[in-house]
This record gives sequence, C-alpha cells and structure tokens, in this order.
Amino acid sequence: MGNRMREWITRGFKNAGRWMRDHKLRAMCLMVMLVLLWPRPARSQFLDPCCAIMAAGLSTISKTLTHIVGGGLNQILAVDQNLSNFERNVVWPVTLINQARALVASLGNTYHQIQTVTAQPVASATLPAPQQLEQNLLSGNSASIPNTTADYTAVYGAVPPSTESSPQMRNMVDMGDAVAQDAMKRAIEIDNLAKLELQAANQLNQAIQNAAPGSAPIIEAQADAWLVRANAYTQAATADLMRVRVVGLANQGENMKLGAAASSSMMQKLQDLLK
Amino acid sequence: MFAASALFVLLSLGMIKARSRRQVAAVVLAGCVAAMVVAPRPARAQGTLIGAIQAVLSVINGTIHTALASIETTRNTINQFYQLRLWPQQLIKQARGMAAQMSARYRNPMYSILHINLRSATLPATQALEQVIRDSQTTDFNALTTSYANVYGPVPGTSSASPYDQNMTDMDDALTEDTLKTLKESDVADALTLGVADQIENAAAQAAPGSAPFLTATAVVGAIQSQAVTQRMIAAELRQEAAYLAHRAALEKQGASSATSLANALMNLFQ
Repeated sequence: MGNRMREWITRGFKNAGRWMRDHKLRAMCLMVMLVLLWPRPARSQFLDPCCAIMAAGLSTISKTLTHIVGGGLNQILAVDQNLSNFERNVVWPVTLINQARALVASLGNTYHQIQTVTAQPVASATLPAPQQLEQNLLSGNSASIPNTTADYTAVYGAVPPSTESSPQMRNMVDMGDAVAQDAMKRAIEIDNLAKLELQAANQLNQAIQNAAPGSAPIIEAQADAWLVRANAYTQAATADLMRVRVVGLANQGENMKLGAAASSSMMQKLQDLLK
Repeated sequence: MFAASALFVLLSLGMIKARSRRQVAAVVLAGCVAAMVVAPRPARAQGTLIGAIQAVLSVINGTIHTALASIETTRNTINQFYQLRLWPQQLIKQARGMAAQMSARYRNPMYSILHINLRSATLPATQALEQVIRDSQTTDFNALTTSYANVYGPVPGTSSASPYDQNMTDMDDALTEDTLKTLKESDVADALTLGVADQIENAAAQAAPGSAPFLTATAVVGAIQSQAVTQRMIAAELRQEAAYLAHRAALEKQGASSATSLANALMNLFQ
C-alpha cells in the first residue's frame, strides 16, 4: 500500500516536471499567482509600531480621563456633598421636622379640648315657651331656623292689630321683632358654621401631622383660605350685631318722636279744654 | 489559507486544461482578480491612528473639560446661593434668637396683665356671682344658676306676673345665663389658645426652615379655632341683643294693649 502511494507521488512529480518543461510560460504564470495568493504573515502585537503608538495613546487618554474627567467629577461630588450636608443639617433636619410633627399632634389634642369645652350645653330657661325658643337658638342647626318665628312669637307675642296701635307704633314693633328674629337666626347659622369650622380645623391639623416639609405649605394655604372664610363669617355676625343695635337706637328715637307728638297733642287738647 | 489553496488548485487545473493562449490569458486574469480579492488589505497609515487619539484627547480636554468646569461652577453658585442668600445660617440663628428673645420679653408681662384681679363686687351675693362668672371653669354651671338667682331673683310666680311677663323674664334670664356660661367656656378656650401660642413660639425658637411650615400651618389651624370660638361668642351676644330688642318690642306691644284696655275702660266709665 505504501509502495503504491510512493510510486503514485513520484509519477505525479515527474508528470508535473514534464508539463512545466513543456509549458514554461503557464508554469511561470502559476508561480506568480501562487506568490500573490500566498497568505501574508500576521503582524506581531509587540513589535508592530502601530500597537506601540496605540498603547501610548490609550495611556495618555486614560491619564487625561483620570485627571480631567475624574478630577472634575470629584470636585462636583465635593460640592454636592457639601450641599447635601447643608440641606440635611441646616435646612431640613429630620429630627426637627419630626419634633414639629409631634408638636402638631400634641396641639391637635388641645384643639380637641377647645372643641369639647365650647360644645358644653348652656341652656338655662325654666318655662316651656322660653325653653322651646332657647333650644332652637342654641341648636347650632340651620335646619331649625324656620321654627324660630313661631317660638319667638310664643314668648314675645305678635305685632299688635291696627285696632290697638297706631301705624307708626306697629311699624316700630314689627321692625324690632324682625331684626331681633334675624339676629337670632343669624346666631343659629353662626353656631352651625363655627361647628363646621372646628371640624375642618381638626381635619387640617390631622393632614399637617402626615405632611412633608414640601406639602405642609400647601395645607397651610388651604388653612389660610379657611381663616379668610372664618373672618368673613365673623364679619357677617358682627354686621347683624350692629343691625340689632342700630334698630334699637332707631326705636329709641321713634319713641321720643311718638312721645313728642303725644305731648303736643295732649297740650292742644288741654288748651281746648281750658278755653 | 484554505481559500487561497483552493483557488490555486482551481487556477492550476484551468492552466493545464487551457487550449489556447487566449484561455491561458483568461486564467491569468482570473487569478489576478482572485488575488486582489483574497489578498489582505494594506494596514492603515500610522498617521490616522495618532490623529484619532489626538481627536479623543482634544474632546476630553476641550468639550468635556469645559462642560465639567461649567457644571462645577453652576453647582458652586447654587450652593453659595442656598447658603448665603436663601438660608443663611446666621439669619436662621438670628430668627430663632428673636423668637426666644420676644417670648422672654413679652410673655410673662402680658400674662400678668391679663391676670390682674378685676373683681369689684362688695356684697356677698354679688361677690359669689362675680367669682363664678370669672373663674374660667366649665364644671360649675349649677353654681352660676344659683348665684344668678341669688342676685337677680327667680322668675316671678303666676300670682305676681302674667304668663307673658313670666315668659319674657324667663327668656331674659335664660339668655343672660347662656351668655355667661358661653363666656366661661370661651375663657377656658382662651387659656388653651394662649397655651397653643406659647408652644408654637417655643418651637419656633428651635425650628429649621424645613420644619417651620408645620408650625405656621398648625398656627393657622389655631387661628381658625380661635375665630370659631369668637363667632360663638358673637352668636351669644347676637342672641342677647336680639332678646333685648324683642323685650322692648314686647313692652311696646304690652303698652299698646294696655292703652287700648285703658281707653275702653275710660269710654265705659264716661258712658
């Protein structure tokens, strides 16, 4: 088997040599193409000048990155750390924020005490009709306002009929009754509003306990709005108080006028009698 | 390497089989083309690599360096703005100190002024009533009723007053007592509200800018509570003033009724 292979190879070389002698030009062309197609050796990474330049370049880039980028970032980090410490320790210290929240919770108990104290019953009337009117006036329930007129009339009576009193007197009495009833109705409204304001105040205080430093001012703005509203209610109550006093003064003036007219009439009648 | 060997074998076969010079030339041409395709590309010039490295370095030293420097400047400016303008520690300390100083200066004198003894009654019954209406307690309303009756008397009985007069007297007394009781409640609320103010002021003396919003918010809540109490007091005064006006109107009604009765009586007398 080995001899046959050797003979086959030997014969092949001989045939090739013979062909190359017979076809010198073709053989030369083939040699040229063999040279052209022969693979080039790979460049050594250690000896190639290109790699050395690249290594030096990368080293320079690395140093520059460390110095310029790393140094710059470190300076920014130092500023940010300083800022962070300032904000944590001076502007928003967690301990003081928690202390403030605890105080808000404690004040919530005080507000609840105020609410309880001012809600104690103060009714004092002893007779049925005054008791009925007093119960209505102290109810703090605006739904009971329509009952006021009937309860009021049961205690203070109705405007006298035209057979018993002059038109001026009836007007004065009716105005006095009207403004007195208006004031009583306003008092019921104001009590009702005050009750709702106290509820809202408790709700706001509860929200403040659970707020963050950034959301607390929003709740404060809401509370400010409620305070403005409360001031408006106080003004409305004060206005009715002034109306009651003004009508009281007007009635006093009207009494003087009626008295003067009555005196003048009496004088005239006496003069007529003495004639 | 494998591709080059395979091509060379193919070209060799082509060269052997070629019959004419033209075919030989075609095989040579194919070989040249194949050599151009298979042959490795020439290495790039070293000058291009150096240029690329310099370009990267230029970006780092130029654009990135400038950007980082700008960021640092900006952060420093913000930091300084926060520390020197927005929340200067010296002014924060001053504000805390002012809260402490003001509470030390005003709180006790104002407390003393508010608690000066105002009692002025000289007789036993009136002294008792004055005591009970000024004691800031809400647990002695019965004592108030008793003391009030001792000074102003009870509602007259049916033998000495008409039902109309009884009702009006009872209503007057009731609303007077209601107001006095409401005032006792508001006195307690006043004391509690002053306590709230003290606590908020104490906390303000130790507050930070970030904890102060909690204090201001709860102070506003306290102000709403205070307004509500004030409104209840005004409501009590409204009832009282209304009752006063109603009473006077009722007297006018009674007067009219009495005058009519008198006139009728006189007419009957003269007839």
